[in-house]
Amino acid sequence: MSLSRLDNKVLTAFIPGTIVDVKVKVGQEVKQGDILVILDAMKMHNRILAPVNSKVKEVNVKSGDRVCKGFIMVVLE
Amino acid sequence: MPLKNKIEELKKRKEEVLQGGGEQAVAKQVAMGKLTARERIIALLDEDSFNEYDMFVEHEARDFGMDGKTLHGDGVIIGTGSIYGAPVAVFAQDFTVAGGSLGFMHARKITKIMDYALRMRIPLIGINDSGGARIQEGVNSLAGYGEIFWRNTLSSGIIPQISVILGPCAGGAVYSPALTDFVFVVDKISKMFITGPEVIKSVLGEEISQEDLGGAKVHAMITGNAHFYSESEFECFEQIKKLITFIPWNNTRKARRFEPKDPKSVFNINEIVPGDSKQPYDVRNVIRAIVDDSDFFEIQEMWAGNIVIGFGRLNGETVGFVANQPMVMAGVLDVDSSDKAARFIRYCDAFNIPLCTLVDLPGYLPGIDQEHAGVIRHGAKLLYAYSEASVPKMTVILRKAYGGGYIAMSSRHLRADFVFAWPGAEIAVMGPEGAANIIFRKEITEAENPDEMRRKKVEEYKEKFANPYVAAAKGYIDTVIEPEETRKLLLHALEVSSTKVADRPFKKHGIPPF
Repeated sequence: MSLSRLDNKVLTAFIPGTIVDVKVKVGQEVKQGDILVILDAMKMHNRILAPVNSKVKEVNVKSGDRVCKGFIMVVLE
Repeated sequence: MPLKNKIEELKKRKEEVLQGGGEQAVAKQVAMGKLTARERIIALLDEDSFNEYDMFVEHEARDFGMDGKTLHGDGVIIGTGSIYGAPVAVFAQDFTVAGGSLGFMHARKITKIMDYALRMRIPLIGINDSGGARIQEGVNSLAGYGEIFWRNTLSSGIIPQISVILGPCAGGAVYSPALTDFVFVVDKISKMFITGPEVIKSVLGEEISQEDLGGAKVHAMITGNAHFYSESEFECFEQIKKLITFIPWNNTRKARRFEPKDPKSVFNINEIVPGDSKQPYDVRNVIRAIVDDSDFFEIQEMWAGNIVIGFGRLNGETVGFVANQPMVMAGVLDVDSSDKAARFIRYCDAFNIPLCTLVDLPGYLPGIDQEHAGVIRHGAKLLYAYSEASVPKMTVILRKAYGGGYIAMSSRHLRADFVFAWPGAEIAVMGPEGAANIIFRKEITEAENPDEMRRKKVEEYKEKFANPYVAAAKGYIDTVIEPEETRKLLLHALEVSSTKVADRPFKKHGIPPF
């Protein structure tokens, strides 16, 4: 059984919102704490940060996209 | 026999008990990367401060081959000692002796030290490392767990109770830690679950490892059962020692006072909170800019991060901090963050620790899963805890305080003693967008350019209501302050509220929405 809630390499939207900015590209190396995406939701420009040092495997959003709750925005390797 | 020989005999008997479960069992414990029960006690307590009791206790079981079997100390060590000079009572289960299994005498030793801790009004620390009930002792073993739970509940709110999970802690055994105030876990060593992987597999056919089911990370990040997580046992003991410095010995005392220290200058309170209320920041830095020596001791750091709780000191006195965290899920209140904050508030109230609440939140998190998970009932715990708390309550509204979130976060209406707001505070019934859409629905829908009209009306609403002065005009907040005045005003508030009287009508106990 996969332990999805501890698997912090799949970054999902915690609530529906609008993508304000995408800071990374597929293949890019990221350091823990780097901003990946900015999600406008709940009156906040939420910074979605890299939880670990890794490489970007998937980017499924672009600026202006509306995303639903749980939408997988970025996947790290 | 001369006295000298009798002393020799005593030494011999002690020496034997100190072997625990013997060389082989100790080697196994070491191979699992764990310290022995005695090493743990020595690492945790002040040097040479530990006094052991009931060393020579023996079990009385006669069935299933137990007759004549020696289990040193019956698998648990109890005693008293000190941490930075503060007295504590301790028990530590010894996994090298019959897997630390809980038999009748084992339980009686634990309940003895629990009774002692309660009678002497000193903190109790339990180190759990046990395979569970001692099957050979049957219902006597179950009785032992029940006696422990009863005492945990009796002592709750009178003495601090701390549980350290340093091995397996499964089945009924996990309910004792769950009843205590703070649970410490260590990566790869702690395992907590009600039914383990074998039972889950046989009943449900689901396969999962012990670590993935109830390891340290699971309880520190997902369930919220653990309050402190660390990578090693030594790091864990340092956390416990630090916690002990922040809390009082019992509910009739105040926490120890320390020498006051100014916050460190790297935390510049004017530069932490962005003016644009859509920009996130780390609220812990605001706390660090306020507390003595910028020393903030966070609790449940890895769970429900949208609210921050922990201890800091103001002018040497322990204060419990509760703060919305804008950089995690915009700082919303939800099921978990309400539970987390409510329990902490009740802890502080029980142990005479004043509360300081920092407010910056958009409100409660909307969503079907939240509603169906009972956010009404869980969110109500926060209202209950703040309303019930009679310790001095200080509130600082940093930025957003909308709707139900404003009321819940230690507002004047729930009897905060002091409510301060920063000039950028937005205190209103709801956010400007939502409010404008409702109030000016007609104007907006009937306008030639609805979007343009909406923008105009949102601005109009913002200007009129998204500030601290409407609430200040009603006296709901006491004063609007500059950020850099915050510490000074909190110190003053603490000083004038040290003799606070908060009389409440008599009741046996309230009925919080558990």
